[in-house]
Amino acid sequence: MQNPVRLNSKKDHGYFLRQKIAPWLFLLLPIIFTLWLKYYPILKAAYISLFDYDPNNQPGTFVGLKNYLDMFHTQFYWEAWHNTFVFLALQILMAFFIPIIQALFLNELRKMKNTVSTLYLLPALIPTTINVIVWRWIWHPDYGVANQIVQFFGGEPQLWLSDPSLVKFCIIFPGIIGGGISVLLYLSAIQNVSPDIIESASLDGCTGWKRIWYIVLPNIRYIIFIQLIIAVSTAMQMLDAPYLFAAGGPSGASTTQGIYIYNAFNKDFNYGRGSAASIILMIIVMIMTMIQMHFENAEKE
Amino acid sequence: MKKNQSTKVRLSGSDLSLKIVAVVVTVISILLILFPFALTISNAMKDNNKIYDMPPKLLPDPANSLAVTVDYTGFDGTEEELIAQLQDDMVSTMFGVYTVLTRESIFEVKFYGTMDGNTIFYSRAHQSQLQLEKDYGIYEGTVLKKQTLLYKDRAQRAAQIIGYEYNPAGLSDKAAPQEMEETASTLVNSVFEKKFTLHGTVAACATQKNNSLLLESFAHYMKLPNYMYGRNETVAKYGFMTFVFNTVIVIGFAIISQVLLCSLCGFVISRLLSPRAGKFALLFFLGAQMIPFASIMLPQLIMYKNMGAYNNYTALLLPFLYPYGFYVYLFKGFFDKIPSSYFEAARLDGASNAYLYSRICMPLSKSIIALIALQTFLGNWNDFFWAWMVTERQDLWTLNVALYNISNNVSTKQNALMGISIVTILPVLLICVAFSKQLKASIMSSGVKG
Repeated sequence: MQNPVRLNSKKDHGYFLRQKIAPWLFLLLPIIFTLWLKYYPILKAAYISLFDYDPNNQPGTFVGLKNYLDMFHTQFYWEAWHNTFVFLALQILMAFFIPIIQALFLNELRKMKNTVSTLYLLPALIPTTINVIVWRWIWHPDYGVANQIVQFFGGEPQLWLSDPSLVKFCIIFPGIIGGGISVLLYLSAIQNVSPDIIESASLDGCTGWKRIWYIVLPNIRYIIFIQLIIAVSTAMQMLDAPYLFAAGGPSGASTTQGIYIYNAFNKDFNYGRGSAASIILMIIVMIMTMIQMHFENAEKE
Repeated sequence: MKKNQSTKVRLSGSDLSLKIVAVVVTVISILLILFPFALTISNAMKDNNKIYDMPPKLLPDPANSLAVTVDYTGFDGTEEELIAQLQDDMVSTMFGVYTVLTRESIFEVKFYGTMDGNTIFYSRAHQSQLQLEKDYGIYEGTVLKKQTLLYKDRAQRAAQIIGYEYNPAGLSDKAAPQEMEETASTLVNSVFEKKFTLHGTVAACATQKNNSLLLESFAHYMKLPNYMYGRNETVAKYGFMTFVFNTVIVIGFAIISQVLLCSLCGFVISRLLSPRAGKFALLFFLGAQMIPFASIMLPQLIMYKNMGAYNNYTALLLPFLYPYGFYVYLFKGFFDKIPSSYFEAARLDGASNAYLYSRICMPLSKSIIALIALQTFLGNWNDFFWAWMVTERQDLWTLNVALYNISNNVSTKQNALMGISIVTILPVLLICVAFSKQLKASIMSSGVKG
């Protein structure tokens, strides 16, 4: 009687090891690396933000929330937030809807669908650096195409990227050509709308524009929402494009939160303030994502 | 199948105005997408003066090739002196044409030296090559005129770099033009009026249209990094390919590590952990992904610098060593859908977890691997800031960093910049078009989930 029991308990032990511990052993390395490369820096930022940080004599003197309070009293910080939200609004108004429209109309084409969708893929392959090189030339005040077009229609030539009131528009405008991966995502969502629904709707006289408005759009609402969340959180973290186009200028008109943080570290050498701005940015991005998630869940139910 | 069916149904109820608008919008979109490409290519083919013409032209002017024959019949002196004179004259002709005849779209200068009816000397140079020598090479920072051009052994060095053929017995395969063309001769005379002089006498000159020279410009644009960053040994040797190599290393490493790590994590979360523990682990990875890059870039930089991961490959590659939450989520969702009977059957046969992962999950998930490889590629192909922050050495630059620095250098000519941009994206575009079917399939199959 004893032998089987002992065997059994041994087996149990091995079973426990395999079922409970082994999975976490597999995950151990990824978890450690995530903690080290992602969570540790943000905790470090939170820590630095409480100090008058001195890189040579770390961590410097403890100042509590002074960094945050000082920062809230500078106008430049609020301007950076203002810029960030203007960028966000422009991005949503000018660039976000274009791929949806392109996908909707692409779906209506009878021929060339394949070729056109390949062409729509191309803008995704152009890195920001090259986009900036090309568009800086288009926006060039003396030799650019933009001023040629404006003058052709009888307008005044503009300074574009050197004009504080136009620089945000100029940075977002390249997105108006649309295309990219999202067109294909929308297209596949549209093609996945059940043909039964469309057929029965068309029997009720719901065709053409009505079909798009009442049948297709409501059915791809979900993916539009997902893409919107991604677009909002990307636009909030906007860093590359404004930096490459205008390095945050002219006179700070394209300084987003990202560039503000970068400048706090690299120009002002104020590590405490930069870290404070980092933490606030992260909190705001997370709050906005959560609000959107909440709406999404509410809509699902 | 499904696609065809739905199209047919829709067609029966199609509305004419919708169709027309659809075609118009699509055509406009495509024109807008292609316009920057067209502009870039045409600017890359223009020469550096024509690029500033107002109003800008969409098509570049046709390229001209100018051939000049200089005669040395009656020269008496040693052979070394003759070669020195030939080199002087060759350099004077080329750079003279480059400096004086800026409006004529002369993309190529051919120089022939003749003696007693024999062609003894031949050399050619492309305009972009001269431009590189002027901007970053031997004549960097000099005002081109006779004295500076021939100062000490400069002309000899320039001639060595540009390259020439010399044979006192005559170069049989290089037939020098014999006649004096009227338009060409006025052009050549204007070069040697004031600023530049020749030892020999101009015997003949001819112009010729040759549009393939416009394409040759690109070969020279690619040499721009060699000239610009010539002090860095690696870049001086491999030039543009250094940046391509770095980009391939970074992107390749990112793809491999992301696919391996994320699929492993996805597998463990989906198959080995209890639903609650799995949810917790997934949230852990997704949460890491939600931290904005802007928020951690500088603590991260400080941390990396303290570890010595700065200005080396470690700094470029380390950020890809943790699994991206979103990809883990995609893998988990995919593995959830694999029927559990596969796993149970394998387990009954005594298969280990490693076996389940490598022999059952991975072969089934080709489409998702393709999607994640594509997403990682696109993300890194766009990535600039981190690579720019951690690299000072030019031989560590990725293409994006290199392009940004080249574009910010004041002496970079606009046409060269456009040309090097085209050279950068063209291979990727071609690969994308070649594999567009597979790419689209993988995007569209896994895309619906978001």
